[in-house]
Amino acid sequence: MIAIRKLSKAFNTHRVLDAVDHDQARSESVVLIGPSGCGKSTFLRCLNHLDTPDSGLIAIDDISIDCSRPVPREQQRQLRLRAGMVFQQFHLFPHRTALENILEAPVHVLGRPRSEVEPEALQLLERVGLSDRAHYRPSQLSGGQQQRVAIARALAMKPQVLLLDEPTSALDPELREEVRDVLRRLANDGLTLLLVTHDLDLARDVADRILFFHQGRILESGTPEQILDHPRNPRLLEFIRKTGG
Amino acid sequence: MVLIPVIPPPPPHLRPSHGLPKAVCFLLLFFSIALADSWTDIQSRGVLRWGDDAEGGAPYIYHPDDDANRLIGFEVEFAADLARRLGLRDQFVQNNWDMLLPALRQGGNFDIAIAGLERTPENLGKVDMSRPYFAFGQQLVCRVSDPSFQSLDSLRGRPIGVLSATASHRLLEKLGDFDIRIYQDNVNYFRDLEVGRIDAVLTDSPIARVNLIGNDQLRPAGPPFEHGHYAVAVPPGDTNLLARIDDAILQMTRDGTLQRIYTKYGLWDDAQERLLDWKPDGLQARRQISALREWRTYLPMLLRAAVTTIWVTCAGMALAVVLGLGLALVRLYSPAPFSWLAVAYIEVFRGTPLLLQIYFIYFGLAQQLGFKLSAGLAAVLALGLNYAATEAENYRAGLLAVPQGQLDAALALGMKRRVALRLILLPQGLRISIPSVTNDFIAMFKDSSIVSVIALVELTKQFQIRAIDTGDYLGLGLLTAAIYFAMSWSASLLARRIERSLRT
Repeated sequence: MIAIRKLSKAFNTHRVLDAVDHDQARSESVVLIGPSGCGKSTFLRCLNHLDTPDSGLIAIDDISIDCSRPVPREQQRQLRLRAGMVFQQFHLFPHRTALENILEAPVHVLGRPRSEVEPEALQLLERVGLSDRAHYRPSQLSGGQQQRVAIARALAMKPQVLLLDEPTSALDPELREEVRDVLRRLANDGLTLLLVTHDLDLARDVADRILFFHQGRILESGTPEQILDHPRNPRLLEFIRKTGG
Repeated sequence: MVLIPVIPPPPPHLRPSHGLPKAVCFLLLFFSIALADSWTDIQSRGVLRWGDDAEGGAPYIYHPDDDANRLIGFEVEFAADLARRLGLRDQFVQNNWDMLLPALRQGGNFDIAIAGLERTPENLGKVDMSRPYFAFGQQLVCRVSDPSFQSLDSLRGRPIGVLSATASHRLLEKLGDFDIRIYQDNVNYFRDLEVGRIDAVLTDSPIARVNLIGNDQLRPAGPPFEHGHYAVAVPPGDTNLLARIDDAILQMTRDGTLQRIYTKYGLWDDAQERLLDWKPDGLQARRQISALREWRTYLPMLLRAAVTTIWVTCAGMALAVVLGLGLALVRLYSPAPFSWLAVAYIEVFRGTPLLLQIYFIYFGLAQQLGFKLSAGLAAVLALGLNYAATEAENYRAGLLAVPQGQLDAALALGMKRRVALRLILLPQGLRISIPSVTNDFIAMFKDSSIVSVIALVELTKQFQIRAIDTGDYLGLGLLTAAIYFAMSWSASLLARRIERSLRT
């Protein structure tokens, strides 16, 4: 369902993505791990064109884009409608309540009537365990609660794949578990997840497959057991030892 | 031996009758002592410094067309001759006309004032005045194309231009029933009369005479009336200097010097010939007015003017807020040629004085393009267009302060840029810029005083007019300041409430 071919991007002379290939099936959960600055976040942001790749092919669901040419805004938007995103810093809209954050896009992007979307939004809030916080502003919510709202907001657009960029990194350790919990359930429910994280426990729980990113390339790929318990590449070994997995 | 200074009783206008604090009275007393008998000072200096406003214009004092550095005019020549007769050199000192008498009273940087100052009870209440050196009357001026206007009576209810705080102004106020438009100088009301913004000008006869020369659009309407005299203003209580000046003027009247000077400027007439027969008229100084004690008269006047301040400010700000938003959006989010235009607008309007913009909009557009904007509309436009540039920058700062992640999140949800701007960036950016915008709103209450240059009497102008009239700058100043403060304070409270209601 996702097919990436030779995706490349450079900041000046620094190659952040070096001809990355990636394939992912529907309902498959893939986790990207790797040292800071290895290009895994940029990889996610290139998939929905928040960052612009220099070249390569991106195909998600029924849409396929050649990145070596300028991509029209409408095509970028079509890409984003298929690939929802959850950010490290949540980026909830501070002037909207939790419920309104979720309603915003279905109502104003898809043009669906609010009365039709609102029950769905409340269901999503229930799914992330925040039914009682529907009318709170982001500033009144904890980090973990904000991130769960952000996940619900992305899901409200019914994306084909959910891109998650270090969703637990900005959280205090005691708040991480509630977000992990949600992510485990999403993976179990058969959603297609592409998750960047430093949290190796989370990676083990969620991933069908783990990719090890290093200097803009995928150095190793395999099941959680293969990658985390029997790493072959010395760099991966070093990374796992440092991260304390 | 101990020297005990003998302090003479202060002149009546300085007696502590206004309930002024004692310290202030003492201060004024010392000033008046320092001023009394300046003749010895003047003599030892050898220079007679006379105050006037070079903007007074022809025929009083003006720059000849061919030399912007030289001053001519009948008062310039009169002053030179007067000084010569006192055995002194003369030196012109520029001073805003409105402030000549207060400056003279408070020991400014000139000894006397020669500036078309009328010998009236009002002026005699502030300074001492010499015997007259010029006789004038009120001259009504109308357009040639309106032959029906022949006297003040035919102009009831019509807009008439006068110079602020002059005999003409006081006369129209006393008669009532006129739409009085108050000007700051002797030139612009003729311009507004020509373009039809007003139906007549009432002014001193010399001004009318000079300005009608070679003007085929305007005509004098009827003969001069309400005759009065110009006299030299001397610091109050300076009897020695006053006596010498009176004597010199009498000589100049008698030996034909005045006739020679006035004939040169086309001003000699029967009325001037009668100057020689002038006897001290026994005109009494008008009793000092305390605006605080007579607040029932002055407060309503000031409040009515404050209404003008309020609506000009509110309408101006409304324009600025809307136009500024458009400018900020175009500057930030439009393609190149448009964003350049927005930048150009902002830089031009921020980079040139508001006063200049007002003149341009009110006089410039009327003269060159025939847009006869009313003073009120021109004021609102000028304030609005000027502040729009500032507001645009406030909005821009607010929009740029919204974290990049907000746009990322909006785009990631599939929003078009336009939608993201409207739903996500603007509500947050505007909230950030609200304190700066409300701050400007309060500032505009005060800046709006500048619109008085186009014959709009707002609060500061009304204060000036009444202060010149009464001489009570302190009392009127306190009343005016209180009104400004009340307006700004209410605006602050309103702003705070808006900010609170929008807080996330």
